[in-house]
Amino acid sequence: MVHASKIKVKSYMKMADLIDANPNLLLMLQHFNIDFRVSDQTVMQLCTGYSISENLFVGIANLYNGLGPKAHPLFTRDDLVRVIEFLKQSHDYYRSDKYPQISSYIRQLQENHSAKELKLLEKFFNDYFAEVLEHLDYEDNIAFPYFIHLLKEKKSDSFRRELYSSIEYGEHHTDIELKLKDLKQLLLKYVKIENDLDLRRRLFFALYELEFDLYIHSLIEETILIPAGVSIEQEQDA
Amino acid sequence: MRKPLLHIVILEASRVICEGLMAILYQSDLDCRILRVESLEDLSEMLESTAIDILIANPLQFVNREKEVRRIRKNHPSLSVAGIDYGIIQKQSMLADISFTLYDTPEHILQCLTKLDNKSRKENKQKGEDDNLTKREIEVLTGLVNGLMNKEIADSLHISIHTVVRHRKNITMKTGIRSQSGLTIYAISKKIVAIEDLEI
Repeated sequence: MVHASKIKVKSYMKMADLIDANPNLLLMLQHFNIDFRVSDQTVMQLCTGYSISENLFVGIANLYNGLGPKAHPLFTRDDLVRVIEFLKQSHDYYRSDKYPQISSYIRQLQENHSAKELKLLEKFFNDYFAEVLEHLDYEDNIAFPYFIHLLKEKKSDSFRRELYSSIEYGEHHTDIELKLKDLKQLLLKYVKIENDLDLRRRLFFALYELEFDLYIHSLIEETILIPAGVSIEQEQDA
Repeated sequence: MRKPLLHIVILEASRVICEGLMAILYQSDLDCRILRVESLEDLSEMLESTAIDILIANPLQFVNREKEVRRIRKNHPSLSVAGIDYGIIQKQSMLADISFTLYDTPEHILQCLTKLDNKSRKENKQKGEDDNLTKREIEVLTGLVNGLMNKEIADSLHISIHTVVRHRKNITMKTGIRSQSGLTIYAISKKIVAIEDLEI
């Protein structure tokens, strides 16, 4: 799943070809609320149709294609608002699609096999899922509204600044990715399960899919959102 | 297959240099995440909670603090250090594994860092080739899955907390598992503890 095509996305390229080369881009389209029937449109046409800046779309598409972030991405405030919508959409994907899917696989695994470790594994996952939900809620309810406010305010405003800052948001990052790695390690190396390969493969694919999207998600937060927030705060403080 | 993400910290007071290095690294093929720290204290603090592969440092930051640097390196053996050579300090006293100058080409700098990365991976691999824990590590792990705090484990085994922490790091390095609940499942799978003995 952590397959990246390394094609550098350009605005004249056809979206359908790009998806062919890297199906993970479908996830990105979904997070941008773009329909999958992209017809023959180029990236540029697609962006115009959905009022997304090409710069932002190409920047994020390149992350999905495995090209590292630019050191100084220049995005407008409108772009950054869009970034937050994007991140929120991906939260929905985690919350109501990917994690429930994984959860149901683990549940089934636990029902199919008597090994006691699997009961613990289910508990491990459920605790982890609860932590993830808490983190997503925190971002949706505290961090994102803060950023939106910061982005939409034109003049200096100390709204909640004494309570919160972009740096703090950066520090709040939890060990979501680490526990996911633990889960994969346990399943790949330690917990013995007989057969049931179909179910286990589906579980692995789901875990890798999730891991990939979480990785991009934190890249966007760390290389786009947080630096932008910090520089707006500095501007305001100046 | 993507190599695991490389965690890099830059310890350099100049923002111009820091951002220049970040630009080179982010535009390269290295899959990395870069953090910046301003002082040795911040670095030590960060190392307690975050696994860092490479430190790129201005060796002037190390002057008169050799002891601290050595301690950091001892506590974090998997950390590699690249020094920025400003021509002021002699190479051998830079306390770095490798050095480059600001006039080197980006390719050369990247090559240096890649070399460093490969070296540390190789060393880690030799150490962590299998997950066979030592007797002491198994004792620490047993305490851990039974919910004991570091201090309690230290007391029961008559060792220092510092040593417990070191054992915990080694356990994580060998097993690849960081969380306590994950280690519990590991310990049961490996029959280090019996599930019946645990309060769940």
